Amino acid sequence: MNEDQILKISANTAIVAFVFSFIVAILLMLNYYQLKANDPLELESMELLVERLKDEPKNEELKNEIRSLDLLARKAFFTSQWQVKTGRYLLLLGSIVWIFAMRYYFTARSRIPEPDAEQISEVSARAFSQRWIMIAGGAILLLAFVASFAANDHLKPYQASGEGEGEGPATEGSIEVIAITESPDTGQAEADMPEEIQLEGEPAGDEDAIGITSPAEITNLAGTHHNGFRGPFGNGVSQHKNIPVDWDGAAGRNIRWKTEIPKHGYNSPVLWEDKLFLSGGDMSVRVVYCFHAKTGELLWQQEVSDIPGSPATPPRVQEDTGLSAPTVTTDGTRVYAIFATGDIIAFTMTGKRVWARNLGVPDNHYGHSSSLIVWKNHLLVQYDSGRGGKLLSLDTSTGNTRWETSRQVGISWASPILAEIGGNMQVILSAEPLVAGYDPETGEELWSVDCMMGEVGPSPAFGEGLVYAANEYARLVAIKPGAVDPVVWENDEYLPEIASPVVAGGLIFIATSYGVLACFDAASGEKYWEEEAQQGFSASPLVADGKLYAMDTGGIMHIFSLSKEKKKLGAPVLGEQAFASPAFSEGTIYLRGEKYLYCIGNE
Amino acid sequence: MSKRIKILLFGILLVMGQLAAGQQRFPKPEFETGYVQPSPTTPEPRGLAMEYMDVLVLLAVLSLSTWFALRSRSRRGILWLSVFTLIYFGFYRKGCICSIGAIQNVALSLSDAAYTISLTALAFFLLPLLYTLFFGRTFCAGACPLGAIQDLLIIHPISLPPWLRKAAGIIPVVYLGLAILFATTGTEFIICRYDPFVGIFRLDAPYHMVVLGVAFLLLGMFVARPYCRFFCPYGVLLNWMSRFSKWHLSITPSDCIKCKLCTSSCPFDAIDHPTEEDSPTPDRTYYRRFIIYSLLIPVWILAGGFIASKSYTYLSRAHQDVYLSELLIHHPELVNDPDNLDIQAFLSAEKTLDTLVEDARLVQQKFRTGGWFMGGFIGLVIGITLMNQVVFRKRKDYQPNRGDCFSCGRCMDYCPVKN
Repeated sequence: MNEDQILKISANTAIVAFVFSFIVAILLMLNYYQLKANDPLELESMELLVERLKDEPKNEELKNEIRSLDLLARKAFFTSQWQVKTGRYLLLLGSIVWIFAMRYYFTARSRIPEPDAEQISEVSARAFSQRWIMIAGGAILLLAFVASFAANDHLKPYQASGEGEGEGPATEGSIEVIAITESPDTGQAEADMPEEIQLEGEPAGDEDAIGITSPAEITNLAGTHHNGFRGPFGNGVSQHKNIPVDWDGAAGRNIRWKTEIPKHGYNSPVLWEDKLFLSGGDMSVRVVYCFHAKTGELLWQQEVSDIPGSPATPPRVQEDTGLSAPTVTTDGTRVYAIFATGDIIAFTMTGKRVWARNLGVPDNHYGHSSSLIVWKNHLLVQYDSGRGGKLLSLDTSTGNTRWETSRQVGISWASPILAEIGGNMQVILSAEPLVAGYDPETGEELWSVDCMMGEVGPSPAFGEGLVYAANEYARLVAIKPGAVDPVVWENDEYLPEIASPVVAGGLIFIATSYGVLACFDAASGEKYWEEEAQQGFSASPLVADGKLYAMDTGGIMHIFSLSKEKKKLGAPVLGEQAFASPAFSEGTIYLRGEKYLYCIGNE
Repeated sequence: MSKRIKILLFGILLVMGQLAAGQQRFPKPEFETGYVQPSPTTPEPRGLAMEYMDVLVLLAVLSLSTWFALRSRSRRGILWLSVFTLIYFGFYRKGCICSIGAIQNVALSLSDAAYTISLTALAFFLLPLLYTLFFGRTFCAGACPLGAIQDLLIIHPISLPPWLRKAAGIIPVVYLGLAILFATTGTEFIICRYDPFVGIFRLDAPYHMVVLGVAFLLLGMFVARPYCRFFCPYGVLLNWMSRFSKWHLSITPSDCIKCKLCTSSCPFDAIDHPTEEDSPTPDRTYYRRFIIYSLLIPVWILAGGFIASKSYTYLSRAHQDVYLSELLIHHPELVNDPDNLDIQAFLSAEKTLDTLVEDARLVQQKFRTGGWFMGGFIGLVIGITLMNQVVFRKRKDYQPNRGDCFSCGRCMDYCPVKN
């Protein structure tokens, strides 16, 4: 054989070996994906059969079918494995032949190279090297430096159980800031003599504070008072008029008063006549506050302590939920508050402790955030924790359990709402996987629709005879309670994570945590418009005075008219971050910012 | 006893020893179904005797490689030795144990009193360094399976410009620094985890590892031994040792006739030219630069130390405790995820999150402190490399660069002077 023939043979061998190796490599890759896609332990068809077996445990035919499918899947799996193993050796063999053929070919072709005619100057080469060493070294250090600033130390803000939470100094605004000093009625004196759960039927509290005793009267008043989370019946629609559309929290425009809130909390303010209630707290203490709605003066504050069964150390909760996320509620006779510790407490309107109890520390990884709602003499508590879901009715005057209904649901962060359906009041709850209606008098489940997924945060809404529920990574659903086919429509274009939907004027509004405010037709689900805010929405949008009020986390209130066409009426600024929903009274809006409580009204 | 019988007995004992070494501590379950137990994808624990045999093989290969490079000057001998190394330490021993990874065993043993390094790992770490100190990088020539697989695949090497080689030369230093930091903090053996060729040796690896290994081999057809030159952390140590080697491979066995035939023989650009041919000669600017670069060394050290220490946040996330605590703080709902094995293992250990976070903070502190050493080391190397660029040494002949030369012997083949 001459040299040309050897070259030709080695070149052809190299080509054949390369093509062979390439084909084997492609087949191996395909086999790899097939193996990944058809894991015999996670076969969808197998799971369906196993599900069926749960319903028909004695179906022998089904058992045999499962066995056969299992055997088939395993055979396929191990055959694929064998193919992969064989393929590896074939690939190795092909590669070795290819390498040797290539080497042989290039060695046979190689000639003694011509010596370099020109040598690169070492001096100039080194000068160039210096520059590049500095560039490379500097780039490595710079990249590491930038990365060190880009990466947050997530362990730094973590506080071990029992460690207190620091509070930053309050910043003074340009308007009058009412200083909070030690109230003459701090509650600590009362805490020394706690009045625990009263005996059933025994009158409790300061009934004369408002002068209302009849449940019917309370019901009527509740419809007009902003007495809980998202206003009357928790539905986000207020009947009050002359609500301002323009203000500036920092400059003080239309700000009637501004008061620093002593303890932080993500709950919203509630109103009953001249009294405004909210709560706050940290790892050391939880407090209920009562402010004068006209002046912003702190009328009383009561610490929530000395409750039997209350944990010595509060449960670990997330910073963005806190221990006092649930909004308090009032029926005009008492104010009720619940915390992530499981402590639930009632005070009179003048701050006298009526009863308190611990419902058991909720197993909730973010922190319990479901707000309270009151109906007649039922204080309704949605208590869906990791240990099981339940709806509780506590006697408003004693705190004793009137009824308790178990729910097969996951942890929920949504709050209950009240709605009149078919002439009867129902309490409606949303959780994974159910949206359900209950009789508030008995706790009986009246209907339920399996339609929710994930960690449900937004509360349901009611309007136009339909119940609406939504959650991120799930869908927005319109439900006709009690109907044979209850889901009227559904949409998944924009879904809220925290803020609840609100229904009014034939429209439903959704505010997402990524900053989109969307308007849909309440009857059909058709989308009318959307608005993109610079910040996301945590506060639930509310409707008052024929307008939609939706505040983003940056403290900008996006005000729109209730119309199918997008018509923005204003975007006043609070001047600080805000996560709480507003409260309305005639001509006034109350807003809770990160640090301050604002009373806003046209001057 | 005749010589043949002795050899036969030795062979029998060797096979029996191997069988004994590979015996399972507990018998595998037998289902009487004809099912064949699959071979584990990672190497099984090796008997101590066999481990010592590995050391002996390494010693023999190192000695032979040195012999071929320095005494018999046989490129062919080195080539076939590297084929043996590839088969034995690569495919047979599946790339483990290796001298490169042994850096981490040594680093961990120095930082953790509870960790006892095996004699084998220590020998694999020290023997090549000792040989290099006396004979140059003969380990890279014929005793390293990672080098061998790349060397055999060099098809058409291209010459890289010096500035690129010098700048890319910082990468292995950073890699070495990170490997030691991760090992001393008990985080991970990153050299082993990201060994690009171990998947090829074991014919089984995660997908990304196979892609990485194949990519290195394909690149290596044109850029000779890319892992050895621009990534190998052990190569940094060998480079330093080799600079001081007492005896080193020479291109010519006698006086250089300056035929220049060897200039293009080295695929690794590791041949230094005689200085006489360079012009112009360095002037006073270089003396000034030498002083400036010398004064800048502490600045490089401090900057490197400070930045690496600040980088503890993301570097420490490679540690299981830090990773897990951050995961649990940010996604507490995952405690309900039965498929998350990390969290399930944590829960079954009945350890509290507070304790876990406390442990994680200790790890972060180690990274902060270790970062100063690692960054300072990287800064020092950058500073010295820069300073070396303005230091000129006289060379009369074409010589292998003692630091970069792998002692592969290609240049010897090209040299017409044979005696």
